[in-house]
Amino acid sequence: MRNRSNSLTLAILSLALLQMVPFPARAGDQEFHSLVERMSAYYQKRPMRFMGWLDFIANRFTPHGVSHFQMVIFDDIDSSRTPPSEDFESSLASLVGPSYQPFVRVQEVRSGEWTCIYTRESGKERFEMLIVSIDATDAVLMKMQLTPGALRKWVDEPVKRGRDSREEARQAEVN
Amino acid sequence: MDVSCKKIRTSAFLTLFGAMLLGAFSLTAFGQNAKLDINNLEALSKKASEVVDVNLDGPLLKLASKFMTDEDDREGLEVIKNLKGIYVKSFTFEKPGEYTPADVEAIRSQLQAPAWSRIVSDRNKREGEIAEIYLMTEREGGNVLGMAIIDAEPTELTLVNIVGPVDIDKLSQLEGKMGIPRLGDQTKEQKPAGHHEKP
Repeated sequence: MRNRSNSLTLAILSLALLQMVPFPARAGDQEFHSLVERMSAYYQKRPMRFMGWLDFIANRFTPHGVSHFQMVIFDDIDSSRTPPSEDFESSLASLVGPSYQPFVRVQEVRSGEWTCIYTRESGKERFEMLIVSIDATDAVLMKMQLTPGALRKWVDEPVKRGRDSREEARQAEVN
Repeated sequence: MDVSCKKIRTSAFLTLFGAMLLGAFSLTAFGQNAKLDINNLEALSKKASEVVDVNLDGPLLKLASKFMTDEDDREGLEVIKNLKGIYVKSFTFEKPGEYTPADVEAIRSQLQAPAWSRIVSDRNKREGEIAEIYLMTEREGGNVLGMAIIDAEPTELTLVNIVGPVDIDKLSQLEGKMGIPRLGDQTKEQKPAGHHEKP
């Protein structure tokens, strides 16, 4: 009985400690981690902690064909650091790196909100999608793997999906 | 002798240089790229409430064709399998009148003859809608190299640029997909001069 209680305490403690570490570092996804680092250096801001819980839950409720979901939020960013609109795409492309292909970009002019979606092949029959959504106060990075079927929905309706992901990023910031 | 010879040589050199310049200019004019410079529409971005860009080229377009395995997709697959890229730029405005005919003209200015020819022009003055389809064809042979669609509505302006051989008869297969707006029956109205259907 005492052993069981100790194990439970240890498990809770480990889980709590795990949340102290930013998710990308745990996931072993060096590339995403270095993207987060670059973003962090750019905005001179650390990402929000405790995102691991959200990823953990989101990965259990992702739509069919979507997996390996990761998300990082930088809140209260210094908007003066966000490049002007004419340089935005090239600045972001250099942050993201050349392996990603720009797919959809949605710019809400009044609010100064940008959502850029990049894709690339990721092994056999898998595709990676990187969504970067930046507004005046927050920056959200989302990365996920898609099956061909899931990517096809994006290819069929890129505008609608781009708008939807902007909404999802907005919701994530609110939550 | 020396002076007149020099003059003749200079004139000949200038004529040759002029001819080369003219040749270069003509090559540029006829060698227009089927991929439009969409970036020069940035001025419109400042007037719009929302701007959407879709880039579907290279590997992503190949992937799209890989997914089209259903029976319903067969004609769509025929359309996209040889394409090099589909690019869409769409501006949404808060209210009518926020973009001007001059803005549409700026788009048209890239779609000049002899490389480009307008094959469909549909205007609904009451609704304030314009739909135009342009084809870029090879000077000899008439093969289609690319297509541009301007879809202007009171609060939305969309430019679609398809690079690669497009079969206009099958374009309807792509309407409503890949960011391409629905154009109704307009694509079936006309066929371009010199557009050769494949058997």
